[in-house]
Amino acid sequence: MTSFLATGPSLGGSRVGAWLAGLSLRSRILLISAEVVVMLALWQLVVGVFRWINPVFVPAPLSIFSGLGDILSSGAVAANAPASLQAWVVGFGLALVIAIPLGLLLGVSLPVDRIVGPIAWAIYATPSVAYQPLAKAWFGFGIGPVVFLVLVSAVFPIMFNLAAGIRTTNTSIISAAKVYGASKFRLYPAIYLPSTVPFLFAGLRQGVVLATIGMMVAELSGAAVGMGALIIRSTNTYQVGQAFAAIMLVVIFTISMVQVTTLVERWVAPWTRGAGK
Amino acid sequence: MTTETAQRRASTAPLISARGVTVKFDVARTGKQMIALSNIDLDVMEGECVTVLGPSGCGKTTFMNVVAGLVKPTSGSVFIDGDEVSGPGPDRAVVFQDYALLPWRTVFDNVRFGLEMQKKLSDGDWRDRVQNAIDMVGLSGFESSYPRELSGGMQQRVGLARAFVAEPRILLMDEPLGAVDALTREVMRDEIGKLIAQTGKTVLFITHSIEEAILLGDRIVVFKSKPGEIKEIITTGIEGMGSERNAQNDERFHELREHLWSVLANEAAAASK
Repeated sequence: MTSFLATGPSLGGSRVGAWLAGLSLRSRILLISAEVVVMLALWQLVVGVFRWINPVFVPAPLSIFSGLGDILSSGAVAANAPASLQAWVVGFGLALVIAIPLGLLLGVSLPVDRIVGPIAWAIYATPSVAYQPLAKAWFGFGIGPVVFLVLVSAVFPIMFNLAAGIRTTNTSIISAAKVYGASKFRLYPAIYLPSTVPFLFAGLRQGVVLATIGMMVAELSGAAVGMGALIIRSTNTYQVGQAFAAIMLVVIFTISMVQVTTLVERWVAPWTRGAGK
Repeated sequence: MTTETAQRRASTAPLISARGVTVKFDVARTGKQMIALSNIDLDVMEGECVTVLGPSGCGKTTFMNVVAGLVKPTSGSVFIDGDEVSGPGPDRAVVFQDYALLPWRTVFDNVRFGLEMQKKLSDGDWRDRVQNAIDMVGLSGFESSYPRELSGGMQQRVGLARAFVAEPRILLMDEPLGAVDALTREVMRDEIGKLIAQTGKTVLFITHSIEEAILLGDRIVVFKSKPGEIKEIITTGIEGMGSERNAQNDERFHELREHLWSVLANEAAAASK
């Protein structure tokens, strides 16, 4: 969870900012936990105790937790999560396989950027919901359309970030490499690739989030299995607590994948770690 | 010092020789041509430190880039030891104003970059050479730090070590202290002076600081802008380098400074019209 608390330009200026920036990891986790507990308590009071909001629209935290217990014990999660996970992993994997070479090409070659770029941006700009009916026509009713939407959602942010990373490589670093004898061919592995790594990971984090949205869009519109199907079924039968519990699981999964991406980045590219200045 | 001075005087053929170097850029926005450098002739002797002084935009960095082989002149040529420059080469190393370090490499790996690109890592003693260069610029203990963990002055020390370890005959310095804070700037100016004196390298030092030009240069080349041309070349005639010149007590230093001030002030006024 640490990246949520990373120091940024706006932190550390005020007294509260300075206090926040100086907290140890343990204290920061404690602070966030306290924040969550207070929020949940307020929520429980507003919905569960005072009933200011109809719990059919927004269930109280306790009924979400009991809903979570229900879907876990009834085997609903066990029946639906694997299908979603499989579609997500396959779709995201395909996105990587397509986005990385294409992104590199787009960044390296101006003609490719001019020819493929506008088409790619047009597909990217199309709301993923619009692909849903077509995806069904193309891939049937199984895992196919879900994989497709995950792929379409994740591929572009990864690709465009990678291309931008290559195109914005610091020109004086390139000059330095040339001065110290790097051939044009060696500039790619020695300079362009490493300097694009932070951009690649920025794209991957966006890709992770958008992949889940793509997955949900596909599953919510009539998939037989998957977390989206579970959410729809629970909502339709007024098991709103269960629906929210399923949403919560999806959110936890997505945040975990973002965190995994950040951990991989720190391992692959330790120089990007926000140390010192 | 005396043996070096003798060596300098003994060699008569210049190490760097610029002949009629002219650089024109097409300005895409206006469709016009901009003359960055016009007909530059300059000889630099082996072991000499020549400082190039001029207002911003006078083309002094372009001139250095031509010598480095990074920019091809529109007409004219630069010769190194009689051979025409057609691109960068291991006989020249550059220290950049913005350091140009590779952020993904540690200090040690940044310093070894030149040796790596020039395929000199098969030399058995390369580790010692890299370590010596790091020690020489005073960065011992920071070998495994990343550039972002260092101050600007320290980053430029890495840039210096990277240049020295490649063992070039010519060091090209493009306002190396231009982005460093004022205090560090003075300290490092003197250190660079000592390093140049110790190693006896031939140096082309680009700067817009009059003090740096006088304190480091054997000769000062003053550029004027629009178009970039050599306005005058002055021999400093002061022994030693950096703080060794004990500048504040030297009459010649004050005389030069006053002269260069008036020249540059006129230039700056002309350039802003």
